Amino acid sequence: MVRLAGAAVIRRWFPFIAGAGIVIWVTALVMLALTAEGPQRFGELYLAILLINVAGVVALLFLIGGRLADFVRDWRRHVPGSRLRGRTLLMFGGLAIAPLLLVFTFSVMFLTRGIDGWFHAEVRQGLTDALGLSRAALDLRMREYLDRTLRMGARLAGESGAGLYFALDEELRRSDAEELIVMSAGGQTLAYSRAGLQHALPAPPPRELLLQLRQGRPHVSLQPAPGGGYQVLAATQLPAGAGSQSPRALVATYPVPQRLSDLAGTVQQAYQQYGQLSYLREPLKAAFVLTLSLVLLMALLAAVYGALYFSERLVRPVQDLIAGTRAVAKGDFDTRLLRPSHDEIGFLVTSFNDMTKKLARAREETERSRAAVEAERAALAVILARLTSGVISLEPDLRVRVANQAAGAILGVDFEGAAGRPLAEIAAGHPLLAELHELLQRHVESGETEWREQLTLRTESGRRELVCACTALPGDAGAQGLVLVFDEVTQLLQAQRQAAWGEVARRLAHEIRNPLTPIQLSAERMRRKLMRGLGAPEAELLDRSTHTIVQQVEAMKQMVAAFSEYAKAPEMSIREFDLSALVRQVADLYHAQDPRVAFGLSLDPKASLLEADPGRIRQLLNNLLTNSLEALDGRENPVIMIETQRSGGQVSLVVVDNGPGFQGGLLEQAFDPYVTSKPKGTGLGLAIVRRIVEEHGGTVEVDNAPQGGARVRIMLPATAREARRAEARREKA
Amino acid sequence: MHSERGRRWLIAIAALLGAVPVPLATAQEAERFEVRNAYVELVNGEWLLDVRLDLALAEAARQAFEQGVPLVLRLEIEASMERRLLPDEDVVSMGRRWQLAYDAIAERYVVTDVKAGTHVSHATQEEAFEALGRIGGIVIADTETLPEGRRFDMRVRATVEIGELPAAVRMLLFWRGWSRTTEWYAWQVRP
Repeated sequence: MVRLAGAAVIRRWFPFIAGAGIVIWVTALVMLALTAEGPQRFGELYLAILLINVAGVVALLFLIGGRLADFVRDWRRHVPGSRLRGRTLLMFGGLAIAPLLLVFTFSVMFLTRGIDGWFHAEVRQGLTDALGLSRAALDLRMREYLDRTLRMGARLAGESGAGLYFALDEELRRSDAEELIVMSAGGQTLAYSRAGLQHALPAPPPRELLLQLRQGRPHVSLQPAPGGGYQVLAATQLPAGAGSQSPRALVATYPVPQRLSDLAGTVQQAYQQYGQLSYLREPLKAAFVLTLSLVLLMALLAAVYGALYFSERLVRPVQDLIAGTRAVAKGDFDTRLLRPSHDEIGFLVTSFNDMTKKLARAREETERSRAAVEAERAALAVILARLTSGVISLEPDLRVRVANQAAGAILGVDFEGAAGRPLAEIAAGHPLLAELHELLQRHVESGETEWREQLTLRTESGRRELVCACTALPGDAGAQGLVLVFDEVTQLLQAQRQAAWGEVARRLAHEIRNPLTPIQLSAERMRRKLMRGLGAPEAELLDRSTHTIVQQVEAMKQMVAAFSEYAKAPEMSIREFDLSALVRQVADLYHAQDPRVAFGLSLDPKASLLEADPGRIRQLLNNLLTNSLEALDGRENPVIMIETQRSGGQVSLVVVDNGPGFQGGLLEQAFDPYVTSKPKGTGLGLAIVRRIVEEHGGTVEVDNAPQGGARVRIMLPATAREARRAEARREKA
Repeated sequence: MHSERGRRWLIAIAALLGAVPVPLATAQEAERFEVRNAYVELVNGEWLLDVRLDLALAEAARQAFEQGVPLVLRLEIEASMERRLLPDEDVVSMGRRWQLAYDAIAERYVVTDVKAGTHVSHATQEEAFEALGRIGGIVIADTETLPEGRRFDMRVRATVEIGELPAAVRMLLFWRGWSRTTEWYAWQVRP
């Protein structure tokens, strides 16, 4: 966090720091230009220039190092845009560095030649000539002063003691000398006279002056004056006087005229400076080259940094575009890029943003459409799931596209995971679906895509009726598949048939019962009226005939009563009762009626309590056992097995006998009224059983037991609540 | 040892920066450059210093001088007195400068005492160097500063360098041996 904060501060202040650095650097360049005025100015500014450039170089090295590290890291990580940035960097760097190097080369050449130009032979010769001229001018003056000193010495030769002092003063006044000294051969001052202050002792004479005097020769030399300028020092031996004095010498100091002294001083100074310059020639060149190199190095580094900076600035929008494109490719259409400028890159960024906006809008539209389609599909799926009709959508090659729950329930097939599988493959092991597939295949082969047909399927549990309708799904390129809709109408047909038979029974009961009583009464009246007047044979015939009429009428009455009972639907009386006790009671009754029939009871204690109409359940048992007993008539070891079992909210009641079982054609119509294989049966037993079961919300199936014999399996709701649920499910289905 | 290595590093860096070829100080230059003799004497209540120097100039300095660049002799003088249980007390720390320049007009070598402002000219270079190496009568302290009865330590050293050059140029001349300094010459003055 601290590092990030520091980086933020640096970023904020960087423009100001960079601006200050540029100003300082430009100042250094101006100072560098000023150094051309001469070595003195160079000496004054050199350190400042050097320090500014060194500081600038160090700062730039740090900045470049940081940016180069970022660049190398991006390059190694193959960050998008790093290659482009590398090429841009090379191009910018090359464009900036090449001219700089060229300028540097020529600058160094001009510089070194310029400095060398300071030391032209003509300059040196001129200075030497000026020096010679100055010396020549001063030599004349020196020779003149020496002559004066010689004459002065001749005049002072005879002076000694106090006279010498006065003579010296007189000579000083008469001459241009500023100091006159009479000294001994050993250099000791004997007398001196000086213009101006007298309290300072004269300076000791130069050694060569004494040496020359000892050699008997006069001396004259030019001496730098203590306060600047020059003075001429002339000395001569004083001729020996009359008083056999020891050797003495006169030393006279003459000032060089101010004008001549200044000119000579100027020449001396120029000559000295030239000498210094000559000595400093190579160091100066080195310093200039060094300074120029530093300036160039700084310019180079600035160029490199600029190349890094501007390549980054240039590539950044491209990197942003690449990142944005990748984001768009990943599906992020909300990506928006900041417009970096108003140039072509800015136009590109604007176009990109427009594109992403349009893509986002298109995606939203697509999402809405997809959501609508999904909603439609979900609604369709709900509709399909709620449909009682089976619906199977098929590809043109009869692969299953989708099938609803009702289809699976009707056909007894689990269509879970069936999508994409051929219908024929799914139909294997499922006879109902196999027959349906066969029917479908026939129509497809015949080129029929729109058809409707009722299909009768024969199963172990009886005949099932399906109403099928097929239609082709429309598509852009012809038929895109088939939709097969089917519904099981077995129960509907049975109900219709049952209703029709109920109506028949009611009409029969009504139409037949009414004339039966008059017929019976008429037959009995006939026998009673005619029996007395007839002979024995005729009376016997009459009696037998009328008796037959009465018997048949009685039989017809029973049949009409049965029809009437079938047609009549009394009110249900639902209550809880003991099913096991009822089963035992009915079984005992029938066992008493026909003791040779063995009854096997397997009663589940959990299935004892049943909430139903006990009268109807008793009738149901009566009908089943009556059927079984009739079927077992004449059979050896007749056995009737009755089994109850509780399974969830259902109670199953199974009655199995070891009779002949249902014959082939009868099994399918076992529950139809008046369908019977018995000579005296009305064919209403199982029809009534079925009606009672359905009144209780249960189901009934008949089949032949594996070991032979008929088997009736009844499932009844254990409670009225379960019955209502079953009824609701049935209605829903 | 370290200074020599450091100097060579600087030379290498300067060479890398494009500087001119550098003449190194050679062993031949290692002639006698030292304080040959020095002593102090108490004269009229003042301690006067006399120093004798062997001034074998570096070749670069000699070349510079011959081309007109003045030479500067700096003399550093220090005196300290011993104290019991305490570090020595520095009682004198002073410097004197002399300049040796060639006057091309007068064709003389001028030795100038910078502090006193006096100068003496010499006809030859040897004479001038001899005069420069014979320094005497420098007042370093009075008896208040250096009591007569106390024992004290003296030390002097001399530096000859190319003078009157801009500091930057001096820096550039660093590796050309523009400056040479003697070892400290130390002695003890006893009452």
